Amino acid sequence: MGRIRVGQPQVEPDTPTHVRGIRQGNEGPGGCQPGHHEDGTADARRSTGIQGKKHNAIMKIMPNISPG
Amino acid sequence: MTATADRATAGRKTPQVVDMSWDPITRIIGNLGIYTKIDFANREVTECRSTSSLFRGYSVFMRGKDPRDAGFITSRICGICGDNHTTCSNYAQQMAYGVKPPPLAEHITNLGEAAEYLFDHTIFQDNLVFVDFCEAMVKATNPGVLAKAERTEAPHAHVHGYRTIADLMRAFNPFEGAVYKEALQVSRITREMFCLMEGRHVHPSTLYPGGVGTMPSPTTFTDYLSRLMRTLDFVKKSVCMNDDVFDFFYEALPGYEEVGRRRIMLGCWGAWQDHQACDYRYENMNAWGKKMFVTPGIIVDGELVTNNLVDINLGMRILLGSSYYEDWVNEEPFVTRDPLGNPVDMRHPWNQTTVPAPQKRDFEGNYSWVMSPRWYDSASGQHLPLDTGGGPLARLWSTALNGLVETPYIKATGRSVRISLPKSEKLPEMTFEWEIPKWSNTLERDRARPYFVAYSAAMALQFAEQAMDLVRAGDTKIFNDYELPEEGIGCGFHEAVRGVLSHHLVIKDKKIANYHPYPPTPWNASPRDIYGNPGPYEDAVQGQPVFEENGPDDFKGIDIMRTVRSFDPCLPCGVHMYLGKGKELQQTHSPMFGAGNGTGAGHG
Repeated sequence: MGRIRVGQPQVEPDTPTHVRGIRQGNEGPGGCQPGHHEDGTADARRSTGIQGKKHNAIMKIMPNISPG
Repeated sequence: MTATADRATAGRKTPQVVDMSWDPITRIIGNLGIYTKIDFANREVTECRSTSSLFRGYSVFMRGKDPRDAGFITSRICGICGDNHTTCSNYAQQMAYGVKPPPLAEHITNLGEAAEYLFDHTIFQDNLVFVDFCEAMVKATNPGVLAKAERTEAPHAHVHGYRTIADLMRAFNPFEGAVYKEALQVSRITREMFCLMEGRHVHPSTLYPGGVGTMPSPTTFTDYLSRLMRTLDFVKKSVCMNDDVFDFFYEALPGYEEVGRRRIMLGCWGAWQDHQACDYRYENMNAWGKKMFVTPGIIVDGELVTNNLVDINLGMRILLGSSYYEDWVNEEPFVTRDPLGNPVDMRHPWNQTTVPAPQKRDFEGNYSWVMSPRWYDSASGQHLPLDTGGGPLARLWSTALNGLVETPYIKATGRSVRISLPKSEKLPEMTFEWEIPKWSNTLERDRARPYFVAYSAAMALQFAEQAMDLVRAGDTKIFNDYELPEEGIGCGFHEAVRGVLSHHLVIKDKKIANYHPYPPTPWNASPRDIYGNPGPYEDAVQGQPVFEENGPDDFKGIDIMRTVRSFDPCLPCGVHMYLGKGKELQQTHSPMFGAGNGTGAGHG
């Protein structure tokens, strides 16, 4: 800070970046996020936990679009 | 390097110079002060200094933080275009992490940014700039012009429905005018469009490096599109209204082109990435930069100097000279060579260290917290004080001159930009052509803004259509994983609403070692640099003629305010003005100005 006199910092600079006990995000969502598939597509389970399968496309040739 | 050529010196009267100051002309954050000397005998501004009395220090407190937080923290730099910072920060981080977002994520980001341009330009132009051109203001400053406006038919009356120019000016009156009120409604709709894509306005909650968190359901895009179609009537009308009013000013006040005119030195860093071309690798930056849907470029005297983002990046120099900082040349450099092996200057943002040194304001010495960003032109050896023309002027100029953009709705021709908008609620399909103007001046900066609104609407249509195609095909991937590297560097180039925006990032030990955002206002509001070159505000105001009919006692400085506001220094809400010997006038130009319906003083 040049010649400006400043007080003791009240926090560690990177305090807010990680709270202990919470998984850090670098592993990616693939394994644990429901509704997301390995190939990048997703199904209705991504949007809703309530009878997700009933909201999927009804035919295989139709794209599986998540409900809004 | 003053902007305009000297006008004829013959017939000049003995100067009658009065100090006039406006401080603060509030921007969105921070204080902007304009200190001028006005020669009332010859009716011109002889000297101008632009100063900011606020220190932010983002580059100081970003050090040591997790780089993944950068987008969320830098968003808070601005209260109106924070999302531009998030987007730009993500661009820089994606380069540092080596991650490319999936196509749909790129479309969602682009749609959000298009909505931001629509929203921000509309609210600024119609609710803030037009206050300077409204009936109440023109009556108070140039009654002769208003009388002429009453007699002048508006050429596009069949589009916007206002028969005379004075009718248009009445529609601009704050709080009461129809255009003012409609613009508020439109800015609400466009903000809703923004929120659909980026979660909330103005600090997005769904933009991350590597992708977005927006749920890409079909309704997200149809909701966006239906709102966009609702605004198209307004967009078409505004282009025509602006043309009518600004053409009238040229006609009613011969010589008005000199107001705010400066040498054509424009910079545009490009906006809206093309997901097919952009891999965020520095090595390929020239190629993917040229594929952006607003082409980057540096324009000097009407010629394109470069459109290579690598050249633009390496030419950036942060100079001191009139700023309250200590020099950092003796510090350790962070980046000596870029990934292509080119040397990086010590004055480049990658190597900058911010060392604040608060001190008393001295107009002969240091007088601003803003540094002086310049672009080093290796051909001429000059440090060019580029301006952004308020954003749209540089963007349209660069896109037009490059002639690279060709989309279903937009065509850059090399001398103009053609924008086609489809049929909307009331108006048929319309094509607008923005042609490269003769001058870089106040009116052209203002005129470019509604054209860029039309441009954004046209791009938004394309992005929405492409995004819906992806969703219908089931390609709803919106995020790619990345590993935070131990070390890395990145740079992001984007366009904030009011002009060039760059973020430069250096990572060491998985933490930020150096971070320097350069938004448009440091370029535009910069003070004199070490070589004595004035910043763009100073350059544009200095030497400009005064057309206001009022004398020193009731001087409003409308021509100066129009010039400063044409650069879009964010939302100006109040002007405190004092004259000479402690006599103080307080005038609130907007949004309170209209309450008195043009009587001027009285609001505090």
